[in-house]
Parts: sequence; C-alpha cells; structure tokens
Amino acid sequence: MSLMRAVTEPHRPLQDVCARLAYAAFATVAIGGPAWAAGTPAGTLIEGTATVDFDYGGTPFSVSSNTTVLAVAERIDVATVLQSPQQVVSAGDTNRALLFTVTNTGNGTETFALAIDNLIAGDEFDPAAAVPAIYFDTDGSGDLTAADQAYTAGTNDPVLAADASIDIFLVNDIPAGVANGDIGRSQLTATSTTGTGAAGTVYAGTGDTGVDAVVGTTGGESADTGEYIVSDIQVAMVKSQAVTDAFGGTEPLPGATITYTITVDVIGSGTAAASVVRDPIPTYTTYVPGSLLLNGTALSDAADADAGELDTSVVPTIVVRLGDLTLASGTQTIVFQASID
Amino acid sequence: MSVIKKLYPVLGLSLLAVASSLFAQDAKQIEVTTIVKKEVVVEQDDGTRTTELVAADSVVPGERVVYTISFRNVGSEPADNVVITNPIAETLKYVAGSAAGDDLEVEFSVDGGATFGKADELRVVIDGVERPATTLDYTHVRWVMQERLEAGSEGQASFAAVLE
Repeated sequence: MSLMRAVTEPHRPLQDVCARLAYAAFATVAIGGPAWAAGTPAGTLIEGTATVDFDYGGTPFSVSSNTTVLAVAERIDVATVLQSPQQVVSAGDTNRALLFTVTNTGNGTETFALAIDNLIAGDEFDPAAAVPAIYFDTDGSGDLTAADQAYTAGTNDPVLAADASIDIFLVNDIPAGVANGDIGRSQLTATSTTGTGAAGTVYAGTGDTGVDAVVGTTGGESADTGEYIVSDIQVAMVKSQAVTDAFGGTEPLPGATITYTITVDVIGSGTAAASVVRDPIPTYTTYVPGSLLLNGTALSDAADADAGELDTSVVPTIVVRLGDLTLASGTQTIVFQASID
Repeated sequence: MSVIKKLYPVLGLSLLAVASSLFAQDAKQIEVTTIVKKEVVVEQDDGTRTTELVAADSVVPGERVVYTISFRNVGSEPADNVVITNPIAETLKYVAGSAAGDDLEVEFSVDGGATFGKADELRVVIDGVERPATTLDYTHVRWVMQERLEAGSEGQASFAAVLE
C-alpha cells in the first residue's frame, strides 16, 4: 500500500511533514489535528484518494480511486470586545477613550471597516464623538496617546490575518449638563468589507486566493458597547504663594511675608456638601493676624459666625467652611499671609 | 499495472493500443470511485429542518463532509481479501461512528496507515504516556470485506468528517 496523506497545506513546512511521516513509521506518536483557532486556512486544498487492495486469481492487486478535492473557503467572522471598565467622567470632559479589541475569527485575511455609534438605547446621555473618534492603539500602550493614529474609513481599514487582532479606541466628549450617575454608551462595530449577512451567505470568488467567501455565525459584523458614568463630583484645589520681602523684593528672607492663595473649583455636576478647607501654617512661619480672606472678604481669626478662623488647638491651621459647592458656585478663592520667622 | 492503464490513452500505435487494452481489462478487475459531499441543513416549507448532502465545491471550517467510496468487480472472477483504505486528511476530524458499509468491518490507523485496528483497541503514546486513541488520532480508515466480492458485484463504504 502506498498511502500518503494527500493534504495540501501551504502553512505547514515540509520538514514538519517529514517528521510526522518518520514518527508514523515508528508508530509511537499519534498525529493530532492542527491547532488553528480560526480553522483550516482559506484556500487550503484537501485531496483524498481511496485505495482498494484485493486478490484476484491468487495475485494481489491495488487500485486507486479518483482524487477528490475540497477547497477550503474563507469563513468571514469577527469579534469586537470591550476592554475598558466603565469610565468615570465629568460633564464637559473631552477626549475620553474606550478601548476595544477587534479579532478576525475567520480563517482568511480580511479587511474590516470600523464605525462608532453613540445613539444607544437605554442610557441617559449620548457621548459626543470626538473628531476623529476612532483611533488605533498604535503604540500598544492601552491609553490614548499622541502616537496613536486616527482611523479614516476606507483609507486605513485594518487588515487582519486569521486569528489576528487589533486594539481600537473610541474617543468621545462628555456633554455639559449631564447629571450625577448618568450613563452614556458608545458602540464600536467592525464590519467585514468583503460582505455581511446571514450565516452561510456566499460571496463567490472573493475569499483568499480566489476561493469563495462564506459568512460565518457572526454575520461578518461584530459590535460591543462601552460605558461612561458621570461622577458625583470632583473638587480641584490649587495653592500658590507669593513672597514679599522687607525691601520690596521677592526674596524669602526672615521677616518676609508669604501670601498664600488657595483656589477651589467644582468640576462636573452634583454638590460637594459642607466643604471645608484646612491648611496648616507652615513650620518656621507665623500666621499674619487678620490676613484671612474668602473671595476678597475678610474673615475674623476667631471661631465665630463667619466662615473661617485660625484653629490653634493643635498646630495653627487655617479653616474655611465653603459650605455646599456646585459648578455654579464658581471658583472659591482663599487668601492668607504668613511671615517667615 | 495502473501505470499501464494510465498510459493507454496516449499510446498512438493501434497495435500497442489493442494489446494494452486487452491487458488493462485483466488488470482493472475492480473499479473504484470516490465522491465527497457536504451536509447542509435545509428548512422545509413546513418549518422542519432536514439534512441534505450537496456538492462540496467549497467548505468552511465546522462544516461536515461525507466521503462515499463505490467499488465494483468488473472482472469475470471473484475478488478475495478486498480492503478499501482512505486517508483522513489532517484538517478533517473523523466523526465517531460514521464509517459504514454493508458486509464491511471498519478499522482505523493512528500511525499513518502502517497498522490498523478496531476503534476500541487502538492506543497512542504521547510524550511517553500511553492512552486510548480518540477519533482525533485517526490518520486512516479502512473497510475489510468479510466475504469475497463476486464478479459483477458492487459495494459502498462511507464516512463523515468535520473540517477543522
């Protein structure tokens, strides 16, 4: 019997085949199936020939059948999978990215068109697609960076080999006026440029090496949806200082006065309830009595009806009660002075 | 023998052609033909689904194909010890229990066709560990005819496989 495995496999090196035949001769190693996650590559030709052995008039004979050929068509399948957790955002945020991975789960090389859709039912607001809104994670950082290239439909549609994948960002701006806890969704769709449709739809001759392309169970299109949630509130506090020395200069000499300015801003929506700023007077400095201002208005140093005081119970500390703050409250500016000992 | 048969159409001399034709008739006691089809599920008008075999011009991973080997004794005498052997391509996964044929005993090879055995007798050694063979280990299927194949008689052997 001359029984060779009649399989044409463009991706299998010759030495591998030889090794397998050698193993076969020793009959100790089983020949397992190939391990292509996406299946046998498109364009593979699977040939088969049956052999009949028999004795005729006491003489052994062997005859072969015709050879059948199965041409492996290209199956078009794709999987889009969100990678990012729910993104916490504030009203008015810009360029907030969601990361997705698009994988060619078919068995041939395929080109995919990408699209963003923010009109997703069931959420409270629609993120506003940035321009451009789709980027490749070109530098592989997992974060949107200046090195990442923008996607332009029809110009740089990703071409993926079987089993290959690519990371994609959707980039959105968050509208002003969204409320606490609001959720906005953004969807990435990857679509085969060869064709889509019900599983089994055939696009004759359009697959790899000219074989037929057949739509798989994904329909040649896959989408996944990411989510933004508006944070309760974010409070930004910035402190700066200016030195005035006794000679009209700005040298931090003993006796010079440091004017500290603290600004507090509420970002996003919601209310920062009963906000209090506490700022210890730095070591080697002494608070300048009566120097505390809130939004330009003097506050007494004593703990009394007004919003601020110097708390000397532990270390001297400026305390200012800002109360309930919202975006509408605007910037709160606290100023006080200390002299260098 | 089969080489001569294949050469026959290209031989130009009529004398040689007649001679080889006579010889070929003797050598061609059994004719064998293989066809391969694929299974498709067809939804009928009444909503029921049936599986049909259609031409397998192209297949995609996951599809199931059926090979049918037809053989016929075209000689004048019976043929003895008839064995039909078919390799199972590496990209195909044999469907357990699918090999069939009247009056045929089914055996498999897990070593590239060197040796054959019954499905429950085959064992393989992987990394020094021996275990029973699975359908994934099969490299060949063969059908051993239990009776002689009489002149003019025919038979069929078949098996199914899934494209990986």
